[in-house]
Amino acid sequence: MNEPGQEPIPGPGPAAALRDAPVPALSARGVVVSYGGVRAVDGLSLDAFGGEALGLIGPNGAGKSSFLAALGGQARIREGSISLAGEDVSRLPAYGRARRGVVRTFQMTSEFSGMTTFENLLTAGHGAQGAALGAIVAHPRRSRQRDQAVAQRAWEVLKRFDLVGIADSYGSELSGGQRRLVEIMRCLMRSPKVLLLDEPMVGVAPHLVDKLMVDLKSIRDDGIALIIVEHALEVVSELCDRVVVMALGRSIAAGTYAEVVKDREVQAAYLG
Amino acid sequence: MLSSWTFYISTLVVYFGVDLLSGISLNLQYGYAGVINFGYIVFQAAGAYAAAVVTLGPSGGAGSFQKYIFGANLPFPLPLLVATAAGAILAGFVGLFSLRRIRRDYQAAVLLIVSLIAIQVVQADIPLFNGSNGLTGVPRPLVNVLPLSLQGYQWAYAGWVLLLCALVYLLVRWLSRSPWGRALRAMRDQEDAAVAIGLNVTALRLQVFVIGGAIAGLSGGLLVEFIGAWSPDAWGYAETFVIFTAIFVGGVRNYRGVLLGVLLVPIIFLQLPQFLPPIGYPGLVQSLEWVIIGVLWMLCLLLRPSGLLPERRAKALPDLSGRVA
Repeated sequence: MNEPGQEPIPGPGPAAALRDAPVPALSARGVVVSYGGVRAVDGLSLDAFGGEALGLIGPNGAGKSSFLAALGGQARIREGSISLAGEDVSRLPAYGRARRGVVRTFQMTSEFSGMTTFENLLTAGHGAQGAALGAIVAHPRRSRQRDQAVAQRAWEVLKRFDLVGIADSYGSELSGGQRRLVEIMRCLMRSPKVLLLDEPMVGVAPHLVDKLMVDLKSIRDDGIALIIVEHALEVVSELCDRVVVMALGRSIAAGTYAEVVKDREVQAAYLG
Repeated sequence: MLSSWTFYISTLVVYFGVDLLSGISLNLQYGYAGVINFGYIVFQAAGAYAAAVVTLGPSGGAGSFQKYIFGANLPFPLPLLVATAAGAILAGFVGLFSLRRIRRDYQAAVLLIVSLIAIQVVQADIPLFNGSNGLTGVPRPLVNVLPLSLQGYQWAYAGWVLLLCALVYLLVRWLSRSPWGRALRAMRDQEDAAVAIGLNVTALRLQVFVIGGAIAGLSGGLLVEFIGAWSPDAWGYAETFVIFTAIFVGGVRNYRGVLLGVLLVPIIFLQLPQFLPPIGYPGLVQSLEWVIIGVLWMLCLLLRPSGLLPERRAKALPDLSGRVA
């Protein structure tokens, strides 16, 4: 149980030695998110390290998505702090955090539906810097060169995910699974340090779930910290190095998947 | 007979140019950025008033029958620059309070209300721009300098308007296809996701609003220097919907579609009632214009929701990784 202001949930012991960075990629301390009088997240603390997948599970209404939104900057935190590689970003807006390497996907797929897959990737690859109006007008040639470089990176990402065939397809023409992959590829175009995934398997056809899982593992192995909210427990058990179980806005258990499922409080939270 | 037709057609060409600038501006704002600017006409009016007052000379001079602020006698083409700046500055000011993170439909409502408030203020505050009577006698630029007949001048002015249209068209199309244009489209499609990849959507909206306002101001300046007068009757909020209808019919997000829509709606369809014989009570024929606008909008939504020339699919840039250096 993780009370407000309590010590954060520790990372895995032996695996810690293998981590690239001693400082957590993302650190949350006593985070509180409230809507009106309801505390959706009630003083949660955790650390996420590069190269690990951290699962957030819990029954509906546990506050998982609100916590993810707090990390990403979509929800305002009332108390507590969030830091990225030691830098406090609690007051930064969502776009500011994204520029520092925290990117996310959403529960509902959020591809840019009126743009092709390739354009989705280009837009993310440029981000705010490449899309700056002043820079484009003042240095059009440099902007074209940058566009070409980002395009090459987009082709690399498409090849990595074996999705070259949908480069010219509009987002609205893609299947649910393909849309998910476009979202994830878009995130990768930002060269993220932390990737927040809100129910990444929702709407994905069963035959694509395995592929998506392999892709997520390879992203994790690139040294990116994954924080995943997921209801499909078989996905969590397969993918996540550590799991935090939430109920009523708080953490009620943490550890490996095998450890937390044995926890009585977790069983009670799920089964009522 | 021939000269009156020439006069009529050259006037239509100028109107086409002015409306095309409006179409380009609204297409950039709505088609690319998803900003529903129902107050567009205010920014055109700002440009028109600004160009008028800096051309008319100081207010309250001998024989002056109209009151206004900022009177000056600036030479051509400075009034157009002032008009462009006036549209941009007003857009920046309005955008600062209306384009915060509120839903798009609320933004549209706010901008429509701004349009209604602006016209009331200008009508009520007579020292501002001469109230409901408006400003008249705005001299045509270089009319005494160019050795041209009236018809020759009409065509020269039409050519000048089309030249500016071409420049604005090329500039806006280039910007729309740049990474900045893609960022606008991303914001239009999925605002939260656009923020999540690092885009400051409030800043983007403000930028597109100011650029659109500048184009609107330019269009107003060109129009007032041609017709020589400007009053609140010229910029009712409904005028904005004429241009919206044009870009919907032609094809939102496609600049060729905008060109076609502007040619079809305000220039061809809305001119048709002029050729009808007077029927019914006075003003009935003129009011058919608004019936045409409504019918066109409904037909477009039912039959061609993407317009006559829909947005064109962008082809991916070539993959150069396999090329031998």
